[in-house]
Formats: sequence, C-alpha cells, structure tokens
Amino acid sequence: MDSFDIAVIGGGPGGYVAAIRAAKLGRSVVVIEGAELGGTCLNRGCIPSKTLLHLAETAETIKKAAAYGIKTGPIELDWDAMLNRQGQVMKTLRGGIDGLLKVNRIRHIRGWGKVLPTREIEVTAESGVSKLRADKVILATGSKPFVPPIAGLEGLPYQTSDTVFQMQRIPQSMTIIGGGVIGAEFAAIFSAFGTKVTVVEAADRMVPTEDEAASQALAKALKQRGVELYTGTKVEQVGFGNGQFTLSASSDGKTFGHSAEELLVAVGRVPNLAGLEELGLRMNGRFVDVNEHLETSLANIYAIGDVVGGYQLAHVASAEGLVAAANAAGKQERMNYKVVPRCIYTHPEIASVGMTEKEARQSGAAVKVQTYALRGNGKAISMGDTDGFVKVIADEKYGEILGVTMVGPHVTEMITTASSFMHLEGTVTEWAQLIHPHPTVSESLYEAVNGWMGLGVNH
Amino acid sequence: MLNEVFMPKLGMTMETGTIIQWFKNPGDPVKQGDILLEVMTDKINIEVEAYHSGVLLKRYFEADAVVPVNHVIGYIGDPGDTAPDTPPDISGGEASSSNEGEAQGASSDQASAAEPENLPNAATSGEKPRATPAARKAARDRHVALQQVKGSGEHGRIHRADVESYVAAAQKQAAAAVRATPLARKIASDHGVDLAPIEGSGERGKVLRSDVERALAAAKNQPSRDKRVIKMQGMRKIIAQRMSQSAYTAPHVTITTTVDMTAAKALRAELLPVIEKQTGLRLSFTEMMLKAVAACLMKHPTLNARWENDEVVLQDDANIGLAVSVKDGLLVPVLFGTQRMGLAELVMKSKELAGKARENRLKPEDLSGGSFTVSNLGMYAVDSFTPIINQPEVAILGIGQIQEKPAVIGGELKVRPMMTLSLSFDHRVVDGAPAAAFLTDLKQVLEQPYQLLI
Repeated sequence: MDSFDIAVIGGGPGGYVAAIRAAKLGRSVVVIEGAELGGTCLNRGCIPSKTLLHLAETAETIKKAAAYGIKTGPIELDWDAMLNRQGQVMKTLRGGIDGLLKVNRIRHIRGWGKVLPTREIEVTAESGVSKLRADKVILATGSKPFVPPIAGLEGLPYQTSDTVFQMQRIPQSMTIIGGGVIGAEFAAIFSAFGTKVTVVEAADRMVPTEDEAASQALAKALKQRGVELYTGTKVEQVGFGNGQFTLSASSDGKTFGHSAEELLVAVGRVPNLAGLEELGLRMNGRFVDVNEHLETSLANIYAIGDVVGGYQLAHVASAEGLVAAANAAGKQERMNYKVVPRCIYTHPEIASVGMTEKEARQSGAAVKVQTYALRGNGKAISMGDTDGFVKVIADEKYGEILGVTMVGPHVTEMITTASSFMHLEGTVTEWAQLIHPHPTVSESLYEAVNGWMGLGVNH
Repeated sequence: MLNEVFMPKLGMTMETGTIIQWFKNPGDPVKQGDILLEVMTDKINIEVEAYHSGVLLKRYFEADAVVPVNHVIGYIGDPGDTAPDTPPDISGGEASSSNEGEAQGASSDQASAAEPENLPNAATSGEKPRATPAARKAARDRHVALQQVKGSGEHGRIHRADVESYVAAAQKQAAAAVRATPLARKIASDHGVDLAPIEGSGERGKVLRSDVERALAAAKNQPSRDKRVIKMQGMRKIIAQRMSQSAYTAPHVTITTTVDMTAAKALRAELLPVIEKQTGLRLSFTEMMLKAVAACLMKHPTLNARWENDEVVLQDDANIGLAVSVKDGLLVPVLFGTQRMGLAELVMKSKELAGKARENRLKPEDLSGGSFTVSNLGMYAVDSFTPIINQPEVAILGIGQIQEKPAVIGGELKVRPMMTLSLSFDHRVVDGAPAAAFLTDLKQVLEQPYQLLI
C-alpha cells in the first residue's frame, strides 16, 4: 500500500493549492480527484462563467458601440463557438494545474477517494479499487448545487450551474430561481445574449448579502436589459410540458404563473460529503465542523473550502488550503477571515470587502461613510460606463477602513487596493495621501477617502 | 592620593550594576569628567565619569561583571600610588570615602544605603548643569542625564518642563523607531501607550492593532501604569521570612486585658522632671512598661525564654526587645538585664537604642539575644492587636493607646485613662493559665506601681 505524508481529497482551488503548499514544505503529497482538476471553480463555476460573462460584456459593448461611432450591423451569436472558447480556457487552466502538480512532484490519482478513520483511503478509479495511506488528510471535497424541495421539480430537465453550459443553444427564455451571486451572473450572461430572463428571489432584493445600494444598482442594470425581477417571491410549484417550464409563484399572498423555455435552479450550494461518510466527523449544520486551524473533530484530518461552509469562495478555499497544508506540515497557523474580498462579475461589477455599511452601523461602532458616484469619474465617463459608485466605510475615531463596497467597471480589480489597506492596517489618512493614477476608475476611491476626511477635491 | 571609583547607585531600586565596558585601561591618564566606563542597570545604560584626575590605577571588575552598588570597582590616583590588590568591602569603602553624597555605605546588612543626592554625571563638579531643584528631581526620577537636556531658562538653566519635553521627545523618537501599522500607531497614541515595549505579532515583529489592544487590556488589569512594588530584599526580606516562620510554626494565642493607667500616669508626671533633670531625656510610657514587664518576667520565668535547638531555655535576665519602626521596616534592639535598671537608666538605654535603630547604627549584637519583646502601637489609634512572636522568644506584649474611658470604680462610673495590653504567647511552651497570670500581674503592677518597689 502506498503511503504519503499528506493526502488531499479533491483537486479544486482548495485542494490543489493545499497540495502544492504541502509539497513546498517538503511533504510527500497525493491528490485524489475523480473529475477534472480545478474543481467547480475551473470547470463549472468561476472560470466558465467569467468566460461567458466576458463574451456577454463584449456583446453589450458592441451594441453600445454604434452610438459611439462604431457600426457593425446586427451581431450574430454562435453558442457552440462560445462554448468552444470556454472549453479552451478551461483546458489551458487545467493544463496549468496539472503542470504545477508535476513540477512539485505531487501524485495525482484520478479516482474517487473514500476516507477511513485510520486515514487509509480507498480510491475507486476506472482501473479498479486501490488503497493508500496518509499521515494527514486534507478534505477538500467542495460542494454541489442545492436543489430545494419545490413541488413538481423532481425529475424535470431543469438546469443547475453544473449543467447550464451543456445546453444546446441559447434559449429564448429562461427562469432563474435564486437572485444571489450565481443567479445574478447567469441573468447577466443570458440577458446579454438576448434571452428573456426572469429572476425569482425569495429575499426582498437581489444579492441580499451585499450592500443595499449595490443590489439596487444591479437590479436597475438587469432591468434595463429586460430582465424581469420578482423579489420577495416564493416559487410554489414547477411543471414542464411542451418544451416549456411552468412555474407558479407567490408574493404578498398573491399567486401568479410564469413560463419559460429553460429553468435554472441557483439557490445555493450544499457540501459534497461523498467519501467522508465513514469518518463520523462532527458537523456544523450541513458542513464539516473545523476550528481556526482547520482541524476537524478527528486528529490529523483537516477540511477546507466549500465543504466547511463559510464564504464558499474559491479564493477563501485557497487561503484555507494554505493554512491547512502548513498545519498538516507541522506549523501552527490560523485562518483569518477579516479581509475577504467578494466579487460579482455582472455588468456593472460589484466588489466588496469587510463590512457592509449596514453591518458596520449595526456593530455599534461610530462609523462614517463616504460614497462617490462614478458619474464624476473621468475614466468612467470616457468609457461610457458611469453606472456605479464606490463607498468607503471607516471608523470615525481612527479612520480604520471597516469596509468598501463598489459597483462599476473594473471594481473587481480595484477591490484589492481596499483589501491591502485593511490587511496592512492603513487608515483613511494614509489612503488619502496615496497618489492614484489618472485617469482611472480607481481614482474614485481616492476621492472617497479624501471626501471622508472632508478634503475632497473633485466633488 | 588614592580615590575610589564606585559602582554608582542610580536609583532607589538599584542594587547591582553590570559593567558593559571600560573606556580607560589601567595606567591611562584620567581627567575629571572623562568617561570611565559604561554601566547597565535593569533600566538604563549610563556612562560613568571620573570624579578625580590622575591615573586609572586599578580595575577590579571587567565587562559583564555584576557589582553591588557603592562597591569600589577601581582606583584613580597619582602615578606613584599603589592601589590594593583586592577591592575593599563595602564598609571599607565607606570608611575611606571622600566623596560626599556618593558612597554612602550600608552600616548594617539589614539596612539599605541612602540614596545619593545626584546622578553621578549630573554631579560632576566643574560642568554641573544649571538646573532647578524640580528639574533635578525629575531628571533623577526619569533617569535622565541633565547634560543632555537643553535648558530654556536664564543662562541655560534647566527647568522641569525641559526635562519633561526631553523625555517626551525621546519617547516619541523611540516610538517612531518601532515598526507598527498606522492603525496600531493611532490607537497607541490615542491611549498614550508606549509602542516600544509592545511585542509585535506581525511580519518581522510589526506591531498590529491586536498587539496594542492586548497591551491595553493588560494595562487595564493593573492598577496603575507605573507598577509600585515592594521588593522582597534586604530588611524586608528578613522581616518576611521571620514573620512567616513565626506565624506558621508557633501556635499563637493572644490574650488581652485592660489596665487603668491613672496611677501610672501620676507616677510618670512625678518622675518626668526628675529624670529629665538627671538625663536630659523625657520618661515615656514605653519605658515604664519596660520596667513593669521586666519585674513581672522575673516572677513568670516561662515567658522569659528562648528556643535553643529543641529546648526552651529559661533566661536569667529580662533581655527585652523593643520594636522600633524604621524607614521601610522594623528593628528590634534588645535592652539587656532590664530588671536591674532603674527608670533613668532605662530611659537612656532605650532612647539610645531606638535612635541607633532609626539611624542605621545598630550593631548585630544589639539585635539578638532577646528573651521577650514589647511592641508599642499606643501612639496610634490602636486599642489591641495580635502581635507575632519574635522567635526564638516565646512571648510578645503589644501595647495599645491610653484613652479616657468610662470605668466602674467602687460601684461608680468614672472616666479613667485606660489601656489595653495584648499578650501573644507560643502555646507549645506556655499554657493559657501562666500567661494569664503574667498578664494579671502586669496589670496590677501598672495600676499600683508602688509594687515595683517591693
């Protein structure tokens, strides 16, 4: 039986990152992944959706371009070519991970792992079942789309984020159940491609975990592209017939019907516990319970990423992977979630870090908030992309940056400036003195922090 | 002429100093004010200057040596002089000291040396900086060398504010040298916390917000920023050891009685001028107590005893220890053969011993050999207390205040000067009845002092 210092179950952004760090720390490492390397992020999540979002934005830009003097005539959308492009992107990145594993002399076994409490792992591969042993095990089994128990839904050919890219064509119409990050991004993609999109969200607004103003800006942008939004609305029943999904939903006691060619269920994700059944791990709700060292209730078994819940973001899984790998390699590191940026790649983009304005005010701290609208930003005006704002939330006493929320172009890149200030414990004072390049959208942050100090120049 | 170089005492709590380095070698010519060596205390590093010109003849200790304060560490003299091969001990240093205010040696091993008036480099004659007394005190308290402070007063006189701004600037400079995040700096400055001693948990020791908050929380748990401590050393250490030794080994029983001091007061009033004329000293109640106690001890020998090895040896003489409060402690000089002394002699002897105790001039033999101890707290508003036996003795008498109180005399309520006596005895040696008999006798003697004549 092969034996390793560390076995990583799952080759997603948590697992493969943990494996490489463990190998860099001199441990012998095996990664067990039954599907493609890269996990949900690379194969069914971040990367494929971002590829299509970029194409969607390109389509939007072309549509807008006529008004700026670039006329193209009607545009033609080739779904197969788009998926081909998407496939190329994924293939490139998968190849990259494969190369990294090889360079770091990490054994990659393509098979499904089943972990026993003795830290023996039974791997079921095409070639048969084998067994290996590891001193430490890092569980990075990820998550899968959650399908809620809606009457009539079971057995219908609905889509989830796992299957939506396998659709044969761009649908005429699509109903999306769930107006969170995933639902919002798919609404942005398909509305740009001409699909008549309807979003049904149970909460009273889109992306309810984000800043209310951000959620309003997103709703406005989607509506402008013809997306119908039903917030505060509960789906009661779903049916399918004649190539159409029918749906009855209720809002404020009123029931109404709706039909569409495709139905996308995007209400959240549940942990993938396959292969962990025999461990009898202590759970935290649906998720595997871990402490700040990412140790599970069993000694020498760690868990990271979506399977432990929390943010369910690829970069958080990677960060957790680094901590778990270090601890499995004998170090004592703690996971710190204070500065976790959150990005939504709709058009406009939404990016935030730290507390939202509401959270900051509810925390009881004396906070001061400064918002700067992009319609005053030179670069945004020149791009014709002025829908959005930046909002800086800082504690009144020391000017500590408590949170930043932004809506607009490039904000998912700009958020790292805010994260950096928070991570390095800079305050508005230092930020207001930092020279920002002109013209950029990032200058809006400069204006906001100077405005926070009562020293704004351009507004 | 030989002049000693001392390990300077740079603060109240300084007991030893560590020599960091010498700047002069034996045989080197030295001018007054030259820097001789660098010394480290637990708080600061300081350069020690020469007080005399001549040649550095001798260095008794080299770098890293830990030397008690006021100890001779070298000699400066004329080229032809020869210094002793070994440094004189501390008392020798005192005997030959020619440097006023500097080498105040300890006269007894239980007493600590007096604080020198000035920091050595502030006391250098010739270039003594002009400074107000308040500035000198502030400089001493903050361990600042006055030479480094720029005076803002007339002719450069240094005021206290100058010392304080010098300290503040030094702290600011030290804080700027500390690696800390901007947020940590803001919080520290807001709370007046010195960043320098805070251990940073960030990259390469960078002080983070959490580190400052930890320091703030720790400071909150302390009553004040500058911890005031009583160091268990010297006399304090000995008192601590002896008190706990006695309290934990001897089963103490304390019995009390109240004495009508009318007659004793009258006697004192009569004897006061007589004794004062004879000795120039005033008779106190303490001495009258000593006289009465000595007489009673002769009648109750079990209380006049000492543990010696595993035996209790009854003493022939009433060698009465008198508890004397001194600065930062307590000393118990012994009056030997008290039972043979008349009051005049007692007054002289007891006042002499008490004076020596306060002036740190007691010899070891003055402090041992007692057979009984008297502790008088009557000058305070104390009625009775439970004294702890001064081992190896077996009993101790506590004296409370004399206060006018209602007393029943012959069936009538009268106001009388009353005093409470508290006798603690070691129940391993003395039982309740003999102790009570002693205390009863003592009460009677004090109430009818003519009995002393019998």
